Amino acid sequence: MILALLLTLAAPSDWVPARWHWLETKTLELLSGSPVNCLLVDWNAQQKAQAQAFAAAAGERGIATLAVIRPGDNVVEAARGAISAKLTGIVLEGDFPAGAAERVKDGLADSKAPVIELPMRASMKLGSNAPIIGSTQGVWPGIQVLEDGAAKAGPSGSPWINTNSGFLRAARAFGDHVVWIGNLPPPGTVVTAEGYLEAIGDAAMTGARWIVALDDGFARRLHDGEAAAIKDWQRIVQQLRFYEDRRDWRAFRPAGKLAVVQGVNDGALLSGGILDMILSRHTPVRAVPPERLRAEALAGASMAVDVDASSLTPEQREVLKTFTRSGGTLLTAPPGWKDAAPAKPDRITLDEKELKRLDDIWHDMQALIGRRNLGARLFNVSSMLSNLLESSDGKQILVHLVNYSNYPVEAVTVHFLGDFKSARLYTPEGGEKKLEVYKVDEGTGVDIEQVNVSATLRLE
Amino acid sequence: MLAGAAPLMKAAPKDAPTAPVSIAKCASYDEDVTAKLAAMFDQLGGLERIVRGKTVTIKLNLTGSPGLRFEGKPLGVTHYTHPKLVGATAHLMGRAGAKRIRFVESAWATGGPLEEYLLDSGWNVRALLAAAPGVEFENTNNLGKGKRYSRFKVPGGGYIYPAYDLNHAFEETDVFVSMAKLKNHETCGVTLSMKNCFGNTPASIYGDNAGVDEPNENPTSGRGEIFHAGNRQPPKSAPQEIDPKSNRHAGYRVPHIVADLIAARPLDLEIIDGIESMAGGEGPWIRGPLRLVQPGVLVAGTNPVTTDAVATAVMGYDPRAQKGTAPFRTCDNTMLLAEGHGVGTTDLNRIEVAGVPIAQALYRYEA
Repeated sequence: MILALLLTLAAPSDWVPARWHWLETKTLELLSGSPVNCLLVDWNAQQKAQAQAFAAAAGERGIATLAVIRPGDNVVEAARGAISAKLTGIVLEGDFPAGAAERVKDGLADSKAPVIELPMRASMKLGSNAPIIGSTQGVWPGIQVLEDGAAKAGPSGSPWINTNSGFLRAARAFGDHVVWIGNLPPPGTVVTAEGYLEAIGDAAMTGARWIVALDDGFARRLHDGEAAAIKDWQRIVQQLRFYEDRRDWRAFRPAGKLAVVQGVNDGALLSGGILDMILSRHTPVRAVPPERLRAEALAGASMAVDVDASSLTPEQREVLKTFTRSGGTLLTAPPGWKDAAPAKPDRITLDEKELKRLDDIWHDMQALIGRRNLGARLFNVSSMLSNLLESSDGKQILVHLVNYSNYPVEAVTVHFLGDFKSARLYTPEGGEKKLEVYKVDEGTGVDIEQVNVSATLRLE
Repeated sequence: MLAGAAPLMKAAPKDAPTAPVSIAKCASYDEDVTAKLAAMFDQLGGLERIVRGKTVTIKLNLTGSPGLRFEGKPLGVTHYTHPKLVGATAHLMGRAGAKRIRFVESAWATGGPLEEYLLDSGWNVRALLAAAPGVEFENTNNLGKGKRYSRFKVPGGGYIYPAYDLNHAFEETDVFVSMAKLKNHETCGVTLSMKNCFGNTPASIYGDNAGVDEPNENPTSGRGEIFHAGNRQPPKSAPQEIDPKSNRHAGYRVPHIVADLIAARPLDLEIIDGIESMAGGEGPWIRGPLRLVQPGVLVAGTNPVTTDAVATAVMGYDPRAQKGTAPFRTCDNTMLLAEGHGVGTTDLNRIEVAGVPIAQALYRYEA
């Protein structure tokens, strides 16, 4: 039965997930025309009958339902209960005791129901065969605002943007997983529609997916059919559709001439670390976990940063030596330079002391990078983050832009390394538009009239 | 008036130079700002007589990091000179026969090309280059494209420094123009065409991370330590302070330094953008009651003191107000100091206003 149902559903790697507040089948109407095809519902055995009816109705619409189970007693029993209610699969969210996930999988072996783990970042099964990996830990994306309402300036001198994109890029670099991030809106905060759009874009520009999670107030207003809430929901759907209608973009790989070699124990999974600092400068960068440090990982790169040389194996060091012998510039961080690994699993950002140390590192990084064009240089983008990607044949490049300022930004300019013949701009609200390309010293220039929240440039 | 109720104000010197000032109403940047400016230049005796066959250097006001925005607004409608006005000025100067038009600014915390700073500010550099023949850009925060700094002595000796070392662009020019914004300033009360020239000074010499002996050609900071606070001297290669024991208060130092700079590197033309701006301070980093304003005015003149005096009056202030009186509550009045240097008069009775009268252009920055 489960197998038959799965045939009607998208493959797990194509699931577009959302946390769902309700088990009322009428709420599925909200998903008409939406790319959301996977709903996460908190499992409550006492609502089994309602959950079963909901799962059946969702399945008829081609929507998968996943029971969210958190650490507690009888995890295997809860998972069996959810699957017997015909939910599609299980999400284990949080920090479970070692072996719990395996016991659940064993317990559901007959059903072949998928089990997705959303643990703490430090417990993610990076590099495993799981089709979906993820974490429930994330910062809420946006410009960091101080208590007096001013934007906090980071070491880069621009407003500091809280983002999960560095972490997600690092996680994606470990393999071909689909990566989900399941952080929730900050409690006690009014989240604007733009805030949700930014959260979606923050993950999607890295090829990952944010598990859509509406705050309770918004969910209530949406359930009640409030016009403003429905309008905001439609914008969220439009934003999701923007990325999901172009899934081929996810196959594009990180481009640019700078590689950062950084492992899990060197802070690769922290937010606000070296990777995020480089990204805040819009310097194209590829994350390279030491485990995947091979010559091909550095192909096309002209600069590399080795965050913790002492953690590399002799073979990995040899790859870097070969890189420098062939003309590459290597910045090897001295002892003490690496981001500290989180002391506690529930910590995902750097403390003040570590940030201060990074400030020193940052000066050296800036000296290394300077004003060089390492793939693309972007201008008037201080409130944005970007991601430069290239197709497998190298003939097309993409630049994803996400603006976190809650205000449109006008007159963005991008200077690309190399000559390109055409440029197209894609936006959620404006569809596709051809842009003029012009020659600049570095190669090709493109001007974008306005960026609201998300925009993507494609050049050929 | 009772003696002691207020500081006795010295009478304006009768022999201070004067020059006409033009005011125009312009409600929006979507209006024909080129036509408005052209009419204003005509009222000042024509642009051609000033720029034909000349190298013109235009100091823009691009204060603070372009990453810092007020309420997410484009920089040109808050605290930067608006690019549309800049393009119109370049076009008119090109049409009037200027040989070369060089835009300059000591771009905040960087010695990189000004073009890139402008792109980061959301400007269309290609459009600006196309606005007139011979348009160039120079970041004056360091040596830039020059090989040595130019030394400008303050006639009469100066208030704070006897001379200032500046980028070559300020010497290699026939005409020097200040394109400012009609704004309040936290340290100086108002920031108009003269205060804009505080940014003539290179952070390589006057910035917080300037060298002890020599300039630092990779400046990454503002001028707080040397100019505002007087906590240290500029590099030994540059002229040192006349009296290192003088008043260290920024409200004293900065106006005096600005007046020195205006006397040392005179202005030939001033254009003040008051179409849209901000009140309460000079940029979004100021902690205070900032607000967006739409005065809808342009002010232009050929003497920086007369131009700023009229602009100050348009903002609803007395251009001869003393320290302790708005907008100079905690600072000296730069215009009076420049008047003391013999640059121009602050006496509105001696300034011919062309175009729109002050009373009709009045936009009070404070209630």
